[in-house]
Amino acid sequence: MILFQETNLKFKMSLEITDQYLQREDTLATFDGLVECEEPNNRLDKFTGTLFWRNTSFPLDADKILLRGCVIRNTDFCHGLVIFAGADTKIMKNSGKTRFKRTKIDYLMNYMVYTIFVVLSLLSAGLAIGHAYWEAQVGNYSWYLYDGEDFTPSYRGFLNFWGYIIVLNTMVPISLYVSVEVIRLGQSHFINWDLQMYYAEKDTPAKARTTTLNEQLGQIHYIFSDKTGTLTQNIMTFKKCCINGQIYGDHRDASQHNHNKIEQVDFSWNTYADGKLAFYDHYLIEQIQSGKEPEVRQFFFLLAVCHTVMVDRIDGQLNYQAASPDEGALVNAARNFGFAFLARTQNTITISELGTERTYNVLAILDFNSDRKRMSIIVRTPEGNIRLYCKGADTVIYERLHRMNPTKQETQDALDIFANETLRTLCLCYKEIEEKEFAQWNKKFMAASVASTNRDEALDKVYEEIEKDLILLGATAIEDKLQDGVPETISKLAKADIKIWVLTGDKKETAENIGFACELLTEDTTICYGEDINSLLHARMENQRNRGGVYAKFAPPVQERFFPPGGNRALIITGSWLNEILLEKKTKRSKILKLKFPRTEEERRMRTQSKRRLEAKKEQQQKNFVDLACECSAVICCRVTPKQKAMVVDLVKRYKKAITLAIGDGANDVNMIKTAHIGVGISGQEGMQAVMSSDYSFAQFRYLQRLLLVHGRWSYIRMCKFLRYFFYKNFAFTLVHFWYSFFNGYSAQTAYEDWFITLYNVLYSSLPVLLMGLLDQDVSDKLSLRFPGLYIVGQRDLLFNYKRFFVSLLHGVLTSMILFFIPLGAYLQTVGQDGEAPSDYQSFAVTIASALVITVNFQIGLDTSYWTFVNAFSIFGSIALYFGIMFDFHSAGIHVLFPSIFQFTGTASNALRQPYIWLTIILTVAVCLLPVVAIRFLSMTIWPSESDKIQKHRKRLKAEEQWQRRQQVFRRGVSSRRSAYAFSHQRGYADLISSGRSIRKKRSPLDAIVADGTAEYRRTGDS
Amino acid sequence: MEETPQHCLSRLPDNSALKQQELPAHRLYFTARRVLFVFFTTGIFCLCMGIILILSARSTQEIEINYTRICANCAKLRENASNFDKECTCSIPFYLSGKMMGNVYMYYKLYGFYQNLYRYVRSRSNRQLVGKDVKAVEDCAPFKMSDNKTPIVPCGAIANSMFNDTIILSHNINSSVQIKVPMLKSGLTWWTDKYVKFQNPSSKNLADEFRGTTKPPNWPKPIYDLDKKDPRNNGFLNDDFIVWMRAAAFPTFKKLYGRLNRTHHFIEGLPAGNYSFNITYNFPVTRFQGEKSVVLSTLTWCGGNSLFLGLAYTVTGAITWLASFAMMAIHITLKNKQMSFFHQ
Repeated sequence: MILFQETNLKFKMSLEITDQYLQREDTLATFDGLVECEEPNNRLDKFTGTLFWRNTSFPLDADKILLRGCVIRNTDFCHGLVIFAGADTKIMKNSGKTRFKRTKIDYLMNYMVYTIFVVLSLLSAGLAIGHAYWEAQVGNYSWYLYDGEDFTPSYRGFLNFWGYIIVLNTMVPISLYVSVEVIRLGQSHFINWDLQMYYAEKDTPAKARTTTLNEQLGQIHYIFSDKTGTLTQNIMTFKKCCINGQIYGDHRDASQHNHNKIEQVDFSWNTYADGKLAFYDHYLIEQIQSGKEPEVRQFFFLLAVCHTVMVDRIDGQLNYQAASPDEGALVNAARNFGFAFLARTQNTITISELGTERTYNVLAILDFNSDRKRMSIIVRTPEGNIRLYCKGADTVIYERLHRMNPTKQETQDALDIFANETLRTLCLCYKEIEEKEFAQWNKKFMAASVASTNRDEALDKVYEEIEKDLILLGATAIEDKLQDGVPETISKLAKADIKIWVLTGDKKETAENIGFACELLTEDTTICYGEDINSLLHARMENQRNRGGVYAKFAPPVQERFFPPGGNRALIITGSWLNEILLEKKTKRSKILKLKFPRTEEERRMRTQSKRRLEAKKEQQQKNFVDLACECSAVICCRVTPKQKAMVVDLVKRYKKAITLAIGDGANDVNMIKTAHIGVGISGQEGMQAVMSSDYSFAQFRYLQRLLLVHGRWSYIRMCKFLRYFFYKNFAFTLVHFWYSFFNGYSAQTAYEDWFITLYNVLYSSLPVLLMGLLDQDVSDKLSLRFPGLYIVGQRDLLFNYKRFFVSLLHGVLTSMILFFIPLGAYLQTVGQDGEAPSDYQSFAVTIASALVITVNFQIGLDTSYWTFVNAFSIFGSIALYFGIMFDFHSAGIHVLFPSIFQFTGTASNALRQPYIWLTIILTVAVCLLPVVAIRFLSMTIWPSESDKIQKHRKRLKAEEQWQRRQQVFRRGVSSRRSAYAFSHQRGYADLISSGRSIRKKRSPLDAIVADGTAEYRRTGDS
Repeated sequence: MEETPQHCLSRLPDNSALKQQELPAHRLYFTARRVLFVFFTTGIFCLCMGIILILSARSTQEIEINYTRICANCAKLRENASNFDKECTCSIPFYLSGKMMGNVYMYYKLYGFYQNLYRYVRSRSNRQLVGKDVKAVEDCAPFKMSDNKTPIVPCGAIANSMFNDTIILSHNINSSVQIKVPMLKSGLTWWTDKYVKFQNPSSKNLADEFRGTTKPPNWPKPIYDLDKKDPRNNGFLNDDFIVWMRAAAFPTFKKLYGRLNRTHHFIEGLPAGNYSFNITYNFPVTRFQGEKSVVLSTLTWCGGNSLFLGLAYTVTGAITWLASFAMMAIHITLKNKQMSFFHQ
């Protein structure tokens, strides 16, 4: 059976009794058993229940049920009884809620739009009152304003309130939402198109599966990463072993001499070899073939026999299906070394031992579980001896060894060496069992395996009895290879002040090793374990209780640190510790309490009170834990369930108010990916489940740095600039009406032509800002990657927050004032060049509109830091379009056709003929823009931001980079010559290189870019 | 890297400059040199422009005579609407100390008259004014139809409240001889207004064309009788009417009333001496605290006698210069500090 496209098979077997009696459909129909079982829960690996049938009870456990979502393999059909369905199934219990994700900026933006709404209604109300007052003072006495209606001034004011709501509604940026979506869509496409996130080996480009979260990528504080398949490749390979105290696996020839360059061991003597194993120790082969040391053969025999791997033959080829990749790697190694596991029945196992096939009787399989950390198998050899073979974690094996084990110390040393090389280790041992002893034990075993209560514990106890006095054979070392570029990525992200938490279902030791391998943990990191920090947490709780009981949260929060500042700290905790510390268990107790029916009112109140107190305590405890964990630079949680992964993410999300990103590749990460603000799926070994529920997906962990530091940062900066500009632009545009209202009796008269109001947001000012939102880059991608510190602006919300918002509004307000009052001053006294139509409304409207269009378009020009020809074209194009459309709408022909729609006939040509009006426009634009330039220049000079500094030194940095790149090219050439020329059958690029042409032109050709990236990571991986 | 055959990479993104975000671009960065250069040149430009504007504004001459208070008795009379048929004239003598050279323009100027009020500005019918359909009065509330349901021509509040004082400028050569200063009542409007926006239905017989319509309630005579002397200046094409219909931007505004006809005595402009305005006072303004005046003005290339733009330019130029000096100082003091950035 396969769970969610995971590749490991699990054994499932029905009850013997049902298997026996319920084969035909008519017998199925008469089945009248009763199943009593646990309540629906989310534990995938546990199930307890009993089947009552024909007055007998049969125990049911996890091996006897099929979970929803499984795929059945090696079985043609099966009948079953549905126990839970729908939302009660384990997989559904495990899947978190899918929520609609939105970005921080989205929320902020909404609040800002509300703010603007409030401003709008306040302004309108103020102006309405102004109008009512004006009507009472002036309007009522103005005979020329008589309109036949007998409205009171206050009623006219009320009508005008709605008038102003309509006139000023352009303040509320309605087109904002559409534009934001367009920009996000563009960003998503840029992610999809990025060649440097394309994984050529699997033909997988990066994919932005949601288009709404891009700018959030620039604000990540915490990354929660799965380990297997995300940091590592999830491909286990047998690397080394220690047999009888002797380490095998280095580069050696058959006579034990070490060589640096030696060819792979040739396994062709072995018909069962799959030819995929790369092994360099010829001496080990020599040892196997000569048979000088029986332990060597015994060792591989153990690997071939002690496992739960399934085998099938496809086209005569052996194909193993293992419950864990480790196990598969070991069995595969044994097969390559001449001990091929060929077939298995319920109680026999067939092995080819260096060509001779032998079948063994399997007497018992003592299976692996996470508490035992070992598995054993008891077989009877064809000769009749009974033997127990056992493999397991070194800690548990060493406790059970016979006192007289000569190689104990050597093997221990070897294990240390393996661990330092971040290899995963297992110890192997065996023992002979007397016939009598086995018979005795077997009885207990049988009794325990039908026990109806606590069967697992009973079995464990029985297993314990036989697994003792073992004789150590040796140890295996398996490499769980890290993905390319993982350490570099992690250190880059750490420099960007992103905290990385690794959440894994693995053992503590493995997790720790991987932590070291990917440089999350270093030699100078102080590692704290869950048990170490218990006391700290308790002390903090005590403190808080003394200070104000559980209501401490009402007291002013005290910011104290758990650890003294400074120093590099990492936390390693386990899932069970998490459960304990986060009081998940106590809620169970309160549930039991609830079952008793409360008798009196008093009792009920007490109970709710105590419940509330418990709740508060739990919250406090969780908060303390999060505070503590966040003080550590790295956190590793091992042995956590999918639910716990999601819970950890949720805790940080809730108590730290920080943006989280979860990255994973397997079905067990789905929950976490859904919970985090941003979920990233690695499309890798373990199917598509994670990718399907993710927001972004790509093939390699190392692309994360480009996604965050380049795309995320750019998206964030673009979005912030875009929003700031958008609010500015609309305020500058709309508030001119407000200033104008002081001169037109607050009568909701607009300061612009109607057509201009209609087209301003659509045509005259939209394209440049959209293009800036799509294309702007303050520093290049290379520099963004080189200086991860640039990322911090997003985490701290520096570029768009309420302060920035109000600054943009203020900028808009001031611009609108300048736009209105300079033309006002110019118009009050003036007359036209020919004496005609002085200070007429239509010319005034055209003057302000022209000044506005030029100002806002030049302003976006100043805001754009990456001027492509498209930007230039759009900015000047918008201005040109404005003048073009205006002259068209003001032309004679269109007026004759539609006299009441186009009323501004001749205004543009007559007004813009006057030098005076042009001078007014120029002055207005200059006064609007010069302060912006000055302030920007001064803030850059006096308080330069990180990005300003880098931009300032851009040229120097670029030169430096090119110099470094040349160096790299040189080195790479040397190192790759060894492998590349040795195996190359094709003509190389020697001609091209020696001719000196086209090596590094302005833009490198396609494969060079792809190769560049890969080679670079290869190189760092090697070193 | 392994050589992967190109055709297998079906999902390989394009390597185009746009898709890889590598479009050739200029990175905008405010270097000190650029910013200071811009500021210095803008400063110079603004100062020069300011001085030129001030000088040319000073070269014009302008006389404004507010006649609301001088003609107080007429104003009083007009406050009561029932006196509409009583004529009231008012003569205002003034002395022109220096002669006004060149083209002289006469304006009337209103204070506190809200021609830009929303419901006032919209109350007109452009379809009617363009001469296609004189009965198109739909936008003209409240002056669409008269009481007996005949459409008003020209309809709407703007037309109804048209300025109807007559102003005659006389030159008093001595106490007995008064010459009427010849004023042109043509060329007061934009070409587009006179030839596009305002058209009479047909020029043959205006009275026929406007049959079945009625005059605005405030008007003493119908539209086709506006100018008895010059038939071409009649109907919608009357210059005074067109000038009035071009609504002003602010409650205080000037409108062109006539141009000096430079003939005979006035060939160089208005000579210095005693003049008087003879005003037929029809337009009531005192009820809403409005005022009226007459303005005589000469013009230059940059319009009338307005110092605002010149002063604004001068001030902007001066501030820009000051700012650029300040920025230069700050830049130089901080320059050394910045240099140490990459040597940390």
